[in-house]
Amino acid sequence: MPDALYPWLKAAHVAAVIAFVSGLLAGAIALAAVQSDRFPAAVSAAFIQAVRTWDRRVTTPAILLVWALGLTLALQGHWFRSVWLPAKLAIVLALSAWHGVQSGMLRRLVGGATAAASPWRGFVPLAILIAVLAVVVLAVLKPL
Amino acid sequence: MTLTSRLDLETAQLRRLEQVSLIEATTLVLLVCVAVPLKHLAGWPLGVAVIGPVHGLAFLTFGGVAIQTVAGGGWRRGETARLLLLAVVPFGGYFNLALIRRKRTELEIPLAS
Repeated sequence: MPDALYPWLKAAHVAAVIAFVSGLLAGAIALAAVQSDRFPAAVSAAFIQAVRTWDRRVTTPAILLVWALGLTLALQGHWFRSVWLPAKLAIVLALSAWHGVQSGMLRRLVGGATAAASPWRGFVPLAILIAVLAVVVLAVLKPL
Repeated sequence: MTLTSRLDLETAQLRRLEQVSLIEATTLVLLVCVAVPLKHLAGWPLGVAVIGPVHGLAFLTFGGVAIQTVAGGGWRRGETARLLLLAVVPFGGYFNLALIRRKRTELEIPLAS
């Protein structure tokens, strides 16, 4: 693969990351919101349907692109020899797995299930942000 | 939301899982049984260079769709473990297809009765 392609792959990777993280956060905030009493049932149904449609059409393809482009960059840049990359991959794997869980929850809600109350649901968006911050620090500073 | 549309959502999800499971199983068989022997026995590394990343992406897709499906509910722990473990065994993914079809049938039983 020509070296000139590397910055373009990197740009596409960053764009896919932005699409994925924004969708993941939107889903997490939506799941936290529909559990509160402030949301009437009719509003919740339409809102969750819209969030799930976005998740299926944008967020899910974005995470596939993130992985495909990210692994291509890692191979092309010979980054697998470093320590920071496996650390970053572990966090991205956890975020990807959480996205899968969140997608399943959204599908259940669209199918008519009621959202189970969870005291920690409100902290999920913050946890996602902290994980993303760690990924950015590892990718940009490459401290290890 | 009616029970039928819920059934449609879960059936569509199981269909997606069936499709990616078939692709994942096939690319693993091609990698392990065709590309790797060709590389080591015939000195032809191109097969691994092509099928390797294709299978990697297929496996990641399968993992994502499997988690999405299981998170929707209705899966026992043993079934989930079987789904994930068979995917890493050559030809194992084909045995998952029967499990996924059975789950689809289980979904339709409450409507039929």
